[in-house]
Amino acid sequence: MGGNLCKWTISYFAAALAWLIAAEVLMVAGFGFPSADIAAPDTLVLVHMICLGWLSMAMCGALFQFVPVLVSRPLHAEGWILPAFVLLSAGLIALLAGFLALGGRMPPWLWLLPFGATLLIAGFALVAANLGLTLWQSRPLPASARFVALGLLAVCATMAFGGIFALALFEPAPGSLVSSVLASAVPIHAIAGLAGWLTVTAIGVSYRLLSMFMLAPDVDAGKSRLVWLFSAFMLGAAVIGGAVAVLVGQGLDLALMLSAACGLATLACYARDVAELYRKRKRRKLELNTRMVVWSFASLGAAVALGAVLAITGSLAAHVGALVFLIVFGWLSGLILANLYKIVPFLTWLETYGPVMGKAPTPRVHDLVAERRATKWFVMFFAASWAATALLMLGQPLGFRIAIAVIVVATFGILQELIRARRLTDVAAPLRLPAGALAPRLLITRT
Amino acid sequence: MTEFIDVDVRPILRAGGEPFSIIMATLQRLAPGQGLRLYAPFKPVPLFDVMAGKGFGHEETELGGGEWEVRFSPVGQAVPANEPPANAASADDWPAATVQLDVRELDPPEPMVRILAAIEQLVPGQTLSARLGREPVFLFRELTKRGHQWRGGFAADGSTYELTIRTGAS
Repeated sequence: MGGNLCKWTISYFAAALAWLIAAEVLMVAGFGFPSADIAAPDTLVLVHMICLGWLSMAMCGALFQFVPVLVSRPLHAEGWILPAFVLLSAGLIALLAGFLALGGRMPPWLWLLPFGATLLIAGFALVAANLGLTLWQSRPLPASARFVALGLLAVCATMAFGGIFALALFEPAPGSLVSSVLASAVPIHAIAGLAGWLTVTAIGVSYRLLSMFMLAPDVDAGKSRLVWLFSAFMLGAAVIGGAVAVLVGQGLDLALMLSAACGLATLACYARDVAELYRKRKRRKLELNTRMVVWSFASLGAAVALGAVLAITGSLAAHVGALVFLIVFGWLSGLILANLYKIVPFLTWLETYGPVMGKAPTPRVHDLVAERRATKWFVMFFAASWAATALLMLGQPLGFRIAIAVIVVATFGILQELIRARRLTDVAAPLRLPAGALAPRLLITRT
Repeated sequence: MTEFIDVDVRPILRAGGEPFSIIMATLQRLAPGQGLRLYAPFKPVPLFDVMAGKGFGHEETELGGGEWEVRFSPVGQAVPANEPPANAASADDWPAATVQLDVRELDPPEPMVRILAAIEQLVPGQTLSARLGREPVFLFRELTKRGHQWRGGFAADGSTYELTIRTGAS
């Protein structure tokens, strides 16, 4: 049975949102790219706060709740979730301190880099083992769970490269294999993380969540299988092809081109499937989350178009920062925020009213949110993300920081809406806490 | 006391045959409450998971010479492998449904709300049958917590989920 509530999912979401806001505030302050170089230690601090602290923590929290739903089987080990949280958080803090040390903002304690990397690897190993064993015991896997399996392989690959980088930065040895990996394999690390782990997993989960939220029939298994195959090739070309190229001392161009071609095919087929889900939905009036998810898809499409134009005109290197920003904010962050706006109220509703349902009148899920009020925060978030991308392309660092300031306001707005849902603030008094119902705690779910 | 049907796969394996399909075919023919006693030339560990998924627990005894006797018996709490068909091994002895609901046209989670409301009106032992548009994944947890038994699965058309619930004593 996969319908149990995960005790720590909300805690992961809360930590993730805290990391997001911290990173955004640093960006407003002018920390890291574009004021600093894109490879500068300060930029690495930002990138890892967002990709590990925000996106990965939110993704892990969601997977702990939804992988059991995808495979109709309880999680392999509930007890591993909290240790993983501690390892990931401590590892990230140590890694960020290591980057600060690397940039001369702290004493030169470069051992913090491999130390942080080790904790992170241990944390992700615990996450991947827990989810991986749950999937393994559920074979044959439904289509959406296959994507999660692929995403877990990708996070392992990302961690492997990250670990090697940490070693190379800790003890530079020019000419060694470790150093040559650091010099050339950063794109593999980024593709495995952003495209493999975060995007492929999001694609898989979205197949199921979109059909659940919009009451659409599941996409034909053959169609989603094609998307899975292309994304596996994309990941294989980047990680295996890229690793071979680094080992034999060749450039990465061929591997990256193959990977990009497979990535395009993945997204083209995925776009077709998503369009079908929206077209065949039975819930005619879209809810805020499914409307906002459309905007994150639009951001992904825009990122593909932008990447293609930059590659064709040979200006990819000059604008890779803007491209990554669009992917990270418009696509991944927008997608996750929109889904949090559905998932958090739904889990809160189930936690609070499930035990008394049928015994006392209970509110509907919809009564926990105020979509009209929340819409403006999402509009601000997406509009400012697109503006910030454009301002980066135009070389306007100050304008970029102003746009990020708008994103901070929007993020706080969405966070406040989520807290209101958790606190049942918008539920009318007579229904709010029927006899027998317990008010939910903010950060930990009662199971 | 569980009655067992014997399957000896030792001669099949010695002849180079494939025993899995025979085990599964026997399983199909079991009457409710019947178990399956397996004789095998090795400890059939992979089978344990498969059988657990079909609602069978196991006890094994080593016979010597590497051979094993394994008794699979139905358990009340099936551990489903993929679909969660039930927390009850069989519904054959359940009374006819007192309440029948068709909630296929309702938006989730409304079917869950309606079913739980209807269940509260029944006396212990009575059953409810419902037709849903989707598998109600989050309902099962609540049914189990309230001590109810259920069986469910998609109908042959693949689009209607049929659920039967027998109310528990609580």
